[in-house]
Amino acid sequence: MPTRVITITSGKGGVGKTTTTANLGVALANLGKRVVVIDTDIGLRNLDVVMGLQNRIIYDIVDLVEGRCRLRQALIRDRTTSELYLLPAAQSHDKSAVSPADMLRVCEQLRGACDFVLIDSPAGIETGFRNAVAAADEFVLVTTADTSSIQDVDRVLGILETEGRQVVGLVINRLHPQLVRRGEMMSPDQVVKMLAIELLGVIPETEEVLLANSKGLPIAYDLGTLPGKVYDQMARRLLGERVPHRSVLNKSPSVWQRLSFWRRG
Amino acid sequence: MANSMSIKGTREGLTITLGDEELGAMLQDLGRHLGMQEAFFRGGTVALRVGQRALNVEELTRIRDLLTEHQMILRTVVSANVETGQAAQELGLRNLADSMAIESTEGGEPTEMPPSRIAHGTLEGTRGTLVHHIVRSGQTVRHTGHVVVLGDVNAGAEIVAGGDIVIWGGLYGTAHAGAMGDISAVICALDMSPLQLRIGELVARPEEDDPRKPVAPEMASVRGDRIVLEPWQKVRGV
Ligand SMILES: Nc1ncnc2c1ncn2[C@@H]1O[C@H](COP(=O)(O)OP(=O)(O)OP(=O)(O)O)[C@@H](O)[C@H]1O
Ligand SMILES: [Mg+2]
Repeated sequence: MPTRVITITSGKGGVGKTTTTANLGVALANLGKRVVVIDTDIGLRNLDVVMGLQNRIIYDIVDLVEGRCRLRQALIRDRTTSELYLLPAAQSHDKSAVSPADMLRVCEQLRGACDFVLIDSPAGIETGFRNAVAAADEFVLVTTADTSSIQDVDRVLGILETEGRQVVGLVINRLHPQLVRRGEMMSPDQVVKMLAIELLGVIPETEEVLLANSKGLPIAYDLGTLPGKVYDQMARRLLGERVPHRSVLNKSPSVWQRLSFWRRG
Repeated sequence: MANSMSIKGTREGLTITLGDEELGAMLQDLGRHLGMQEAFFRGGTVALRVGQRALNVEELTRIRDLLTEHQMILRTVVSANVETGQAAQELGLRNLADSMAIESTEGGEPTEMPPSRIAHGTLEGTRGTLVHHIVRSGQTVRHTGHVVVLGDVNAGAEIVAGGDIVIWGGLYGTAHAGAMGDISAVICALDMSPLQLRIGELVARPEEDDPRKPVAPEMASVRGDRIVLEPWQKVRGV
């Protein structure tokens, strides 16, 4: 299959772009795909930390675009999966060290060499965002269910749609099921309706995700957890499988599930 | 009548044609009109048609500053006069010699709006625009005529129309109808939950979490000196 270059972006900061990139990378690699994840958050890199690779960095993306190393030297292989590689951001430069043209060149080199390139975008809609957007074929947007985050993602959607870009789906992250049940947070349905785009998956706010991130071992490695399962489903959806959305809201079976249970029996 | 000042809206911006009157009086007049329609023209670009009139750098600067004051940008000067052309060039403005060139280069369907009709009455003969997609945060739709949106207008989005605004969807952002002063303009939406409504110079903000808010189409219009909401129903006889 031809390489798919997908940028993960959100507008607002701290909603889970890096978490989503790392976990989708792991989930796709678990399904046997060759994946390269790229951190474009220059000066504020942390995809390496979430993947537990921070002590293996020798060259970074600025070294690569400035010709101090070859692509192979800058790619860091994941500790667990041999099919997953990281191209880290630079810590000591500013955003202007990489241009959209540089990103196009790097991704051109990766095309054909792997199945997926996932680009972790910085927050905002300025320079860093422009770099992350330049080379992408498709986009995954990340939001939380709060109004300001939704409005920012809507803004990004507007920009991408105006440029005729393809948005494949929305990840709703850090959902608080109790707040939704109490009517104090928008439900995934409401968010999707408001933004009028396809839902890729919903990840609740959990300690599991937070701890996995700080341990440097993305939760997607643990298919026994709910977030692990959801990331696996998101990866399958990206590959075109039709996977029904599981509700993170109800632990007890819904009326509909009970009906289908009886019908099957 | 043929030689008095006129203002024309196009999709690209505004074309102001100077008349034969004394410049000072004309600019005073222009300033008054722009002041009344500030919201609509804000941020817009202007093409200035001066015909045969000779304008020096100082006079042209006066016009540019007046427009800047109203948050508009003078971009093009269309003139058949050599001195005016030189002054425009000196100020770094685009200078078109052919007075007919403006329509084709600025594009869009020009909508005739003589100043006398701007502040009151209907926009008879004015066209509208159809937006057949969701209007997202940060996006603005401006049109001198009516605006029809097939889709939602999200929070952070803005519709500004000289005439009416009809939204076949939810209004969650800001809508300004009758932005040139026409208080007979209306705003309709299937789900009326705006951040703010404006008609003419009037502003309304819905009650927060209003339990009386129906999930039915509503129409906003001006009654007396207030904006009121009522169910949006079939107009009798239409
Ligand atoms: N589902 C979740 N449950 C709990 N914590 C989470 C979850 N998702 C992300 N976090 C935590 O939230 C913080 C921000 O997440 P992350 O770094 O992925 O966001 P980001 O969008 O990449 O941020 P930035 O805009 O700064 O790049 C991190 O500390 C992360 O561990
Ligand atoms: Mg990040």
